[in-house]
Amino acid sequence: MTLALLQPLEHLLRHILNGLHSIGLPWAWSIIGLTVIVRMLLVPLTVRQIHSMQNMQAHAPQMKELQKKYKGDRQKLNEELMKFYKENNINPAASCLPLLAQFPVFIGLYYTLRAFSKHPPPGNLSWLHFVPSVADKVTAHWSGYVLLAVYVGSQLASTYFMAGSMQKSQQMLMYVLPFAFIFVIARFPTGLVLYWMTTNLWTVGQGLITRRLIPKTPPPSPRRSSRTPAKEEPPPPVAEDGGKPEHRPAATPSQPRRVKRKKKKRAKR
Amino acid sequence: MRYVGVLLVWTYRLTLGWFLGGQCKYHPSCSQYAIDAYKEFGFFKGTVLAAWRLVRCNPWSRGGVDYARDQRVFT
Repeated sequence: MTLALLQPLEHLLRHILNGLHSIGLPWAWSIIGLTVIVRMLLVPLTVRQIHSMQNMQAHAPQMKELQKKYKGDRQKLNEELMKFYKENNINPAASCLPLLAQFPVFIGLYYTLRAFSKHPPPGNLSWLHFVPSVADKVTAHWSGYVLLAVYVGSQLASTYFMAGSMQKSQQMLMYVLPFAFIFVIARFPTGLVLYWMTTNLWTVGQGLITRRLIPKTPPPSPRRSSRTPAKEEPPPPVAEDGGKPEHRPAATPSQPRRVKRKKKKRAKR
Repeated sequence: MRYVGVLLVWTYRLTLGWFLGGQCKYHPSCSQYAIDAYKEFGFFKGTVLAAWRLVRCNPWSRGGVDYARDQRVFT
C-alpha cells in the first residue's frame, strides 16, 4: 500500500532528477540539486520560524522565570509555557509538519535510488572523481565511508543549530544517535547519503545565517498575521476556571481541562 | 487493533522520530497525541485525529495545550 502511495512521488522525483540530468548535470549533482530545490521550497516556512524565534527571544526573561518556578515539574512547566505562548501571541519555532514534509521525499528518493542501482541509467554516476557510483551501497567503496563521516559531522552540526529549544536529555540523544544510525545508513545507496548530507549542510548554513540575523534585528512588536484573526484575549483564565464545567465554543483552542473524561474512558476498557 | 496504532507510533519514535527530531509546538507532542488518540478512540478514529493534529502542527498555527480527549472532531 505504501508503495502504491509513494509511486507518484517516486515518478515525480525521477522526473525532476531526469530534468536536472538533461540540462547537463551528472546524476550525483542532480541529487544535490533536487535536495536544494526541496529545501528552497521550505524556505518560507523557515522564515516564519525565524520570526517566531525572534519573538521568543523577546519574551525569554519571562519564560526563564516560569522555568524557575516549575523547575521540578516538567509536565506542569510545559503546560504553563504553552499557555504563556498563547497569551503572548508567540508561535513556538518548532512544528511537526515541515519535518514531515521532508519525510516522503526521503522515502521517495530511497526508492528512486534503489531503482537506480537495479537498473543503472545511462550516464555518469560518479561524483567528484572519488565516488564511483551513487547508486551503489555506501559500503561498496571506501569513498562511502568518507561520506558517512561527513554525514555524521553534518548531522551533529545541524543538531547543534536546531537544538536551542530542546531539552538537555533530548539533545544528548540527538548527538549520540547519528553514530547509531551509521549502521542503518550503511545499507543505503550512496545517493541517499548524499541527499541527507546536503540537507544537513543546508540546515547548518541556514543556522549560521539565522544567528547573524537574530541579534541585529530588534524584537518585533507583537506581530499579528493576517491569517489569524486578532483574538481578544479573555480575562485571565484563572478567574473563570472556577465553576464552568462545559466546553467553550470551538473558537478558543482547548484549555487543559483534564479532569472529567479520563475516568470514564478507563472504566470502559 | 488500537495497539497496532500505538506500536506504529513507537516504531516511528525509535526510528525516524530521532532522525527528524522535531520538537512539537503543542503539548503533548504529536506522537504522544497519536498514542493517546489510539488508546481512547481506537485505530480508525485515532488515525484521523492524529493526522488532523499533524496538519494543525504547522508554522501558521498557534500551538498550545491540546489533549486528545478534548478533541472536537468526533462527538
